Amino acid sequence: MDKNFQEEFTQIIKFKPPLYKQRHQFVKDLVEKYKPKKVADLGCADCSLLRMLKFCSCIEVLAGLDICANVMKEKMHTLSPLPLDYLQPSERSLTVTLHHGSVAHKDPCMLGFDLVTCIELIEHLEEPELKKFPEVVFGFMAPSIVVISTPNSEFNPLLPGVMLYRHPDHKFEWNQAQFQSWALETARCYDYSVEFTGVGHPPTGMEKAGFCTQIGVFIRKYPQTGASVQSEKPTEAVYETVFKAVYPSLKDEKYLQNAVIGEVIFTAQIIKHRLMSKHEEYGDDPERKSKFQPSMDCFSDYLGKLVVEKNMEPFVSGNEVYIPLATIFSFPKVNRLCGTFEKLCKLIAGKVTLSSDGSAIMFNIEHENEEN
Amino acid sequence: MTGRARARGRPPRQGSALPAVGDAPLRGRRQPQQPQQPPQPQQLHVPPPQSEEPGGHGRLRGFESVLQERRPEGLQVSSGLQDLSLRDRGGRRRDFHDLGVNTRQAMVHVQESKTGFSGRMIKLTTNHFRLTSRPQWALYQYHVGYSPEMEARRLRSALLFQHEEHIGKTHAFDGSILFLPKKLENKVTELFSRTRNGEDVKITVTLTNELPPTSPTCLQFYNIIFRRLLKMLNLQQIGRNYYNPSDPVSIPNHRLMVWLGFTSSILQYEENIMLCADVSHKVLRGETVLDTMHSLHSQVGEERFRDTCAKELIGLIVLTKYNNRTYRIDDIDWDNNPKGTFRKSDGSEMSFVEYYKKQYNIEISDWMQPVLISQMKRKRGNIQGPVALIPELCSLTGLTDKMRNDFNMMKDLAIHTRLPPEQRQREIGRLLNYIQKDDNVQKELRNWGLSFDYKSVSFTGRVVQGEKIFQSGNMFDYNPQFADWTKEMRGVPLIRAVPVDSWLLIYTRRNYDVANTLLQSLFKVTPSMGIRMNKPNMIEVDDRTEAYLRVLQQRITPDTNIVFCILSSSRKDKYDAIKKYLCTDCPIPSQCVLARTLSKPQTIMTVATKIALQMNCKMGGELWSVEIPLKQVMIVGIDCYHDTVSGKQSIAGFVASLNQTVTRWFSRCVVQSRGQELVDGIKACLQTALRNWSKWNKCLPSRIFVYRDGVGDGQLNTLVNYEVPQFLDCLKSIGTDYSPRLTVIVVKKRVGARFFADIGGGLKNPPPGTVVDTVVTRPEWYDFFIVSQTVKNGCVAPTHYNVIYDTSQLKPDHVQRLTYKLCHMYYNWSGIIRVPAPCQYAHKLAFLVGQSIHREPNLMLSDRLYYL
Repeated sequence: MDKNFQEEFTQIIKFKPPLYKQRHQFVKDLVEKYKPKKVADLGCADCSLLRMLKFCSCIEVLAGLDICANVMKEKMHTLSPLPLDYLQPSERSLTVTLHHGSVAHKDPCMLGFDLVTCIELIEHLEEPELKKFPEVVFGFMAPSIVVISTPNSEFNPLLPGVMLYRHPDHKFEWNQAQFQSWALETARCYDYSVEFTGVGHPPTGMEKAGFCTQIGVFIRKYPQTGASVQSEKPTEAVYETVFKAVYPSLKDEKYLQNAVIGEVIFTAQIIKHRLMSKHEEYGDDPERKSKFQPSMDCFSDYLGKLVVEKNMEPFVSGNEVYIPLATIFSFPKVNRLCGTFEKLCKLIAGKVTLSSDGSAIMFNIEHENEEN
Repeated sequence: MTGRARARGRPPRQGSALPAVGDAPLRGRRQPQQPQQPPQPQQLHVPPPQSEEPGGHGRLRGFESVLQERRPEGLQVSSGLQDLSLRDRGGRRRDFHDLGVNTRQAMVHVQESKTGFSGRMIKLTTNHFRLTSRPQWALYQYHVGYSPEMEARRLRSALLFQHEEHIGKTHAFDGSILFLPKKLENKVTELFSRTRNGEDVKITVTLTNELPPTSPTCLQFYNIIFRRLLKMLNLQQIGRNYYNPSDPVSIPNHRLMVWLGFTSSILQYEENIMLCADVSHKVLRGETVLDTMHSLHSQVGEERFRDTCAKELIGLIVLTKYNNRTYRIDDIDWDNNPKGTFRKSDGSEMSFVEYYKKQYNIEISDWMQPVLISQMKRKRGNIQGPVALIPELCSLTGLTDKMRNDFNMMKDLAIHTRLPPEQRQREIGRLLNYIQKDDNVQKELRNWGLSFDYKSVSFTGRVVQGEKIFQSGNMFDYNPQFADWTKEMRGVPLIRAVPVDSWLLIYTRRNYDVANTLLQSLFKVTPSMGIRMNKPNMIEVDDRTEAYLRVLQQRITPDTNIVFCILSSSRKDKYDAIKKYLCTDCPIPSQCVLARTLSKPQTIMTVATKIALQMNCKMGGELWSVEIPLKQVMIVGIDCYHDTVSGKQSIAGFVASLNQTVTRWFSRCVVQSRGQELVDGIKACLQTALRNWSKWNKCLPSRIFVYRDGVGDGQLNTLVNYEVPQFLDCLKSIGTDYSPRLTVIVVKKRVGARFFADIGGGLKNPPPGTVVDTVVTRPEWYDFFIVSQTVKNGCVAPTHYNVIYDTSQLKPDHVQRLTYKLCHMYYNWSGIIRVPAPCQYAHKLAFLVGQSIHREPNLMLSDRLYYL
């Protein structure tokens, strides 16, 4: 190759989007495709991949492992639930854990994962660690899928300023043949299949150099091992947990109960308001067609349809307003949260004032609007 | 600390150096901005940045001039990594605790001591905790330079921290300034790093400063470290404070959630550096902004929907589903929707729907919703200017004015937010306990050589004696426990009762009975007060604003003393129109009362009594007095209100006493439109006040006390350097031989300090009259706290008084006593209030003008409390 040409060429190699984003996107696409529930990122560094994966709704367990606790700690708080996660708990449960430790050691907390990613990890491993790595990941953790990415040294001449390795901490950088033979051997040894791909396309005319980042996707060939097999792997915990965040979820009874009570009382309040203001300002509402959004007024439409069954009609008696639970249960949001009427009754028991027979919510309106 | 490292504060004001933020709604509300041209489609908005920044980025509410008039050019994109290790969130530095302002040194008479002596001692505990640092504790400040120059702060940090073996694990670095708890071997250290690209970089670390523990920089630094600790405790930062999300209180009736959190500040107090920690509550909504819009829509209907949304939502702070930032809603773009596009940093166009799907895996379900616009005033990463937010992905925080006015809602909230002393102190203790128990936090503290006393500070305060209340020849005491003399003044004639010879009583047909009941009750209660009251001119009107106005125009005569309107609803427009007419065009005192208030037979006599007193004050009457030992003194009160509804006006209420007994007041206000200095108007007010005082007293006052309320955090400097000189200037302009003694006192109601009285082994609210002028005051100020009011539930908040200028030569004790006396003189409340009466009058006036009148009321009214 003409030296001048090469130099000129290095000027223009710039990936768009940046290569690290392409690697993350690759993992994300894989997650979209296989919908793993438990995902671990080995060598998670500043947790940027985890931060992206926490938005993937199929994932319920997310773990990160890194040899350097400080780099994890720096940004680990970004993996905490956001205020809104508490305010509007989601359906799925999600636990994010960060461990401090080495991929050369086995720890039972890494068992049972569906997907393990090792993005730009192996080239940081010293020889003895690299030797133990396949046994730990493929033999011990044995997830359904393993993704390993590493620099392709054949691409290095195309990158500006790269002398020996792309990063001073790299212990080696493999060419395509080296990586593939290592990967194939590993796959064979632990009964996985492997496919090779990569991100960062070489420039036209240089296709032989291969992707800038080479990736191997390993799929386990034997079926999911039962718990029995795993229990045969007694190992002591060696990793130190540096961070753990349990996201609020409606699967958790506490959050479900809060959500249900909130929705029930709020719904009941609206019904009560409508009921009370009916007498006073009836003439006020008729024209309420919405240009803003047709679904906007679904609530009032819905209320209109409700009066079908007699036992579902809310009523006032003395200083008390009664709103039958059946009415409340028929509201879509409440219905979706509880599933069954029995569940509704169970969740609100003792938290909401009910009529003596327990069939309706009761409000006392005596003291309302007294002061202003 | 030069440049950027700082504790987070309010962004500095732009344009006019408006010195004060009113204590009233601290919320900048604005009408929807009508863009001149419709925004060009396919341009404009920026999606919010990724959640890479750990902290949110709250902007203080109440901030005006956030919107720049110009629409932004093109789009910018998000990325925004602002992980300055040192600077807390926010951008520029702001002296939030008024650290650099030393006013005491100029006042010779308080150099030795600024403490008073009268009253009985009381044992007090506070929410302050001593910071105990190592004896030799110092902070070492280094400048870090790079050769070749490195732009990205992240890169600068990464390169520097490759040398942890040299600089140590404990450090704080903002990109150019490095703080270390230990001194490096050499004054200048050179380090060599290599970038990923193999570039060699020389890093020069130069010692620039050794900071003693009391230096302002060091204090700011303590604050930043402390906030780090709160984050380590897994508290969530919302706005300026930290909250605990795991134990929320939910109030389903109103769809509210309350999070318990903490405010913290570390400052140099009289003898020690102390942490002041207090409980804070954050009100959050369990629904999205879109939900809120839906319910507004069903409440007001299509026609008023957009206006209502603008009124309700603009100015509020939202949280988002995908990052930990807070945004202020500055506008609502009804012409846009989630299908709209924006330009990304790489120049490509993308729709919001697509963006949120791709970036956060969030599906936007409602594609018809409008888009919220938030203006980023400061640069965050590379974003500045407008940011588009999707209502469905945002949730409101805080309370709206409407909610504040909802009695039932506030009552439900108060149960959770008004903590009695014992409980409040327990909650604060819990925070300290977390800090003590958490290993990581303790490690961080140890690394910096910091530690706290985990027991709060105790000391003795004083309770000054109660005042005697004088009411035309009668004198009575009040029960100090309740600080109220409503009962005592019953049946005692007022100091000056203005006869009501000719007056109008206006009501609607529906309220005819109410009007009569009121009249009967007034006739019953007024004689014992000494008020002579004739039968009014009773006028029935239609329940329309124009009908009221027409009656006013036709029926008011030159003899009319006062106009009484019974309103059937709390509709603001009617009230505003009546007040506006009667305060400007036709200056006559007026009294508006809601019919509902008069409709309960069991309370009508109490209500009528209050109304009679209020009417009397509005017509220039005087109710009671306390003994004011100083002669020839004029007392001034100033407070500000920011009118954000009609344009961007700010209003300063100015109230000055007119007589020796301090029972009559001269009131004016300054309506300041944008770009004008509030203080110029205040100067003019002071001039007219002096002229009026001399008219009443046939001489000029020899002493002037100015109680200045409505001063925001960090604005003290402006006040000292700008406003006080203007006062002095004004006095000079009166005459060359006129040099009265002037005292300027800054009054602050929002303070973090809380005091608890140790009574019978338990913690109680300190009684009214409690004065604190040691331990928790600041050494560089002539300041003190007074607890003057009582509260039925929760903790009483002390008021902070900072004497920033004083040539009175009075002893601190006398200034404290005078201040406390003035808290007795607010005629709308027969009890002691939180601030000196002139401040409360000034507040009332500014509020009325800001809310209803929007321009300066007629000066004919200025010798009466017509705004009560």
